[in-house]
Amino acid sequence: MTADTPFTHIGKPLPRKEDRRFLTGKGRYLDDVAIAGALQVCFVRSPHAHAKINGIDTQVARDLPGVVGVFTGKDLAGWTAPLRLAPPIEGLHPVEMTTLPIDKVRFHGDPVAVVVATDRYVAEDAAELVEVDYDPLPCVADTDTALAADAPLVDDTLPDNLVSHQSFSAGDPAARRADADRVVEARFGLHRHTHVPMETRGCLADWDAGRAHLSMHIGTQAPHPMRGQLAARLGLDETQVTVISPDIGGGFGQKIALYREELTVAALARHLDRPVRWREDRLENLTSASHARETQCVTRASVRSDGRITGLELELTEDFGAYCFYPANYMARVIAMILTGPYKIADYAFDVKVVLTNKCGNGPMRAPMAITSWVMEGTIDAVARDLGLDPVEVRRINALGPDDMPYTMATGEVLEDVTPLETLEAAVAGIDLHDFRERQARARKDGRLLGLGLCTVVESTTYGSQFYKAAGIPGSGHEAAWVRLEPSGVVNASVGLMGSGQGYETPLSQAVAEGLGVAPEAVRIQLGHTDVAPYGMGSRGARGATAGGGTLYLCAQKAQAKVLAIAAGMLNLNDTQGLRLHNGQVERRLEEAWQPTGLSLADVARRAYLDPTALPEGITPGLDVSLTYDPPAMTYSNATHACEVELDPATGKLHIARYLVAEDCGTVLNPLVVKGQQQGAVAMGLSGALLEQVVYDENGQNLSATLADYLVATSCELPNIEIIPMHTPNRKTPAGIKGMAEGGIMGAIGVIAGAVNDALAPLGVTAEQMPLSPQRLRALLRGAGNFKPQTKLSNPSATTHDTTTLGTPGTTDRRTDRA
Amino acid sequence: MTAPVSISLVVNGETHDLTVPPRKLLSDVLRDDLHLTGTHVGCEHGVCGACTILIDGQPSRACLTYAVQMEGHELTTIESVADGETLSPLQQALHEEHGLQCGFCTAGIVMTFEAYLRDNPDPDEAEIRDVLSGNLCRCTGYQNIVTAILKAARVMRQGKRS
Repeated sequence: MTADTPFTHIGKPLPRKEDRRFLTGKGRYLDDVAIAGALQVCFVRSPHAHAKINGIDTQVARDLPGVVGVFTGKDLAGWTAPLRLAPPIEGLHPVEMTTLPIDKVRFHGDPVAVVVATDRYVAEDAAELVEVDYDPLPCVADTDTALAADAPLVDDTLPDNLVSHQSFSAGDPAARRADADRVVEARFGLHRHTHVPMETRGCLADWDAGRAHLSMHIGTQAPHPMRGQLAARLGLDETQVTVISPDIGGGFGQKIALYREELTVAALARHLDRPVRWREDRLENLTSASHARETQCVTRASVRSDGRITGLELELTEDFGAYCFYPANYMARVIAMILTGPYKIADYAFDVKVVLTNKCGNGPMRAPMAITSWVMEGTIDAVARDLGLDPVEVRRINALGPDDMPYTMATGEVLEDVTPLETLEAAVAGIDLHDFRERQARARKDGRLLGLGLCTVVESTTYGSQFYKAAGIPGSGHEAAWVRLEPSGVVNASVGLMGSGQGYETPLSQAVAEGLGVAPEAVRIQLGHTDVAPYGMGSRGARGATAGGGTLYLCAQKAQAKVLAIAAGMLNLNDTQGLRLHNGQVERRLEEAWQPTGLSLADVARRAYLDPTALPEGITPGLDVSLTYDPPAMTYSNATHACEVELDPATGKLHIARYLVAEDCGTVLNPLVVKGQQQGAVAMGLSGALLEQVVYDENGQNLSATLADYLVATSCELPNIEIIPMHTPNRKTPAGIKGMAEGGIMGAIGVIAGAVNDALAPLGVTAEQMPLSPQRLRALLRGAGNFKPQTKLSNPSATTHDTTTLGTPGTTDRRTDRA
Repeated sequence: MTAPVSISLVVNGETHDLTVPPRKLLSDVLRDDLHLTGTHVGCEHGVCGACTILIDGQPSRACLTYAVQMEGHELTTIESVADGETLSPLQQALHEEHGLQCGFCTAGIVMTFEAYLRDNPDPDEAEIRDVLSGNLCRCTGYQNIVTAILKAARVMRQGKRS
């Protein structure tokens, strides 16, 4: 924060309140919640990608001592309602799934039966004894197969595997193509990821038969929507379900939906009238929880010879997997909607296809729109290569500047108070581009490949209810909070979010402290319990600060107003003019300075609760204030990432020499926490871009079922990240908060691709697919005839397409005819 | 599967007499039987490092160890690291430098580096990153953890000198 901040507590880098319990082993995560006599479940999962279920023999398993029961999809169908997703969105097929599959399995890892036992070890033993008679069916392992005319159907109720298809056009992209000096095509393939929270999924369901009430202990980012789903699927109402989220060991979007396993556990607790718990193991988490990304994009940019993009067309295809826990267009539509982000492009069209395959279903993963900035910035870089222009100049000529704000994008999205040109210039200056180009030229002469990438990100952070209405998605973006001053003057506050590790307890108490006029240490934030917290939309996107912090800030202001009204009465003043609450003390403005009145918050609280007849007329007893707030349709923040790499031509090893982010996320509640989010998001983006990959073979077998196969970056693969903080407040949100925490992923994916392709530029090849593993980079180098100091630089506009597959050489190089 | 056996485990200086099945993992015995839930289980195949404890002072994976193997060994878990209300220099530095987010991997990292800094009081960043690569963290990107470990090492060296 700058020194002239108008805030007392907002913007202070306070270390986190929750650290102590985590550092001493006293955090309470799901598996630490003890309920005596809880039964344990283990799911029986399909070894096939696609198969008909002929029958399930559970007898041997049920006979094992310690086994309480074995249940299948037919049992669950009697106890639960299916999930039907049918939002009124054009081009989106309605889908429905039972709680467990009954007739067929759709992916390797699909749960077909569940064992309940007194002990997890016994439950796993028994799961091995369940005999399922399968008839394997032809497998749909990729989108090409899925979209073929005679493709097997992943979902037998649909006419084909194209579960969602939307097109859009603004302006006249075809005319721009006809007018263009050049039309530049670029391709982008982002592979399949999974979230890998360090704590896997799990739940503990406790049914109180006497009260007919379910307590569901589950680490969930969205407790109230989870409660609504549980109630609806179990045939209960919302008064009969309490969702209690303990500490969460990471979510990243994987802990939002009600999954089939969790519903099964809840139904079993009710059926058996005993507490039942499930802790997912890592194999299940990697293969069967939720996957993400696997999106192919093609762009065609119509450009003038000076690099100005006059029209842009996007074709997007997402491999969604076998099941829809979200409307299938949920993630892809955001990519298409905000693609043009930092640039002035009025003529824009997209065609977005979402396809079902025999894989674990997709869901939102930290930055559901992760590929967006790579696609846009990669298109810019392709234009620069094609025209032989400086990529920075191509960015500048297309960038939105201060005079363009507010800017209505071709898709109708409105950008306000964002600064993409400013972050670009800050990053270009910060990374010292001029010096780099000189070093790069010298290095090439020595046979070394250096590269530098730039990636400007416009991040959609906070979705207001107007957005949902316009998108046709049932739901809302508003948030709710209460601030309660207890009779002793201590402060409880709550909001409908649930943190999964970000550290909400500290920044949210700063928001309350600011609005109310107390110290952050005096505020206790209560989250994650649906009977305690107000109904809110939970944590998703990057809405925590704007929706959560903003609502609490406004609510705390309202609480302060009531405190001051009571204080005015106690001070025999007619109104609250010239009064404030500061650090828990009522102060009065006298002679141009704030003076103590001798009244504390505790005095006021005592009056409010314990002596209400002495309250001023019209003031109700107690100090319990609640408020709801609906943010603007969409709030954006922005950043530019810059990254310098060296690519070893002999091994394909990529070394990140420098990584810098200039980020403008408006007013920040706690810069320490924000920096942690910036570093963490970049790390996750790089890890995904370089190492992680869910691999299915052509038979739909998942080959990345352990953490030795699905590689998450360690401390040795990740760089230190330099941050240039910028803070342009949003004028429409409380305190000017914008939100952040997903853009780092978008920037990292885009910038690392840009840096690698800058390094590869002399070879005339472009990496168009991820992960940018050493194998893929070697294949590209090999395909281009390898790189030696004497390699003659190719014509950049003759760049060949990247057709590498996993570790295999790409296409034969046009120039050398060598594979 | 064989019948449960009686064992005696020394954990954080206390001796516990237990009856456990031979196949029961040390991580599960610590958590379920001794209620020491600060040791977390992240992968159960020895990659993530969340379950790292000290066996005879050396960092080890509790998820790759059977409890019955541990008779006659000294076990140390996260619950013993702070001295009452006083955090260890490493815990304190992790707090000050924001070296943790969700906290699930934190116990394993603290145990790994309590031992490492004891034996290597003056490491550089590359050495720390090399050792830290045995512990996966999905939240932080490791940068603040490395900063915190460097700071803790500094504080511990100063503490020894004074």
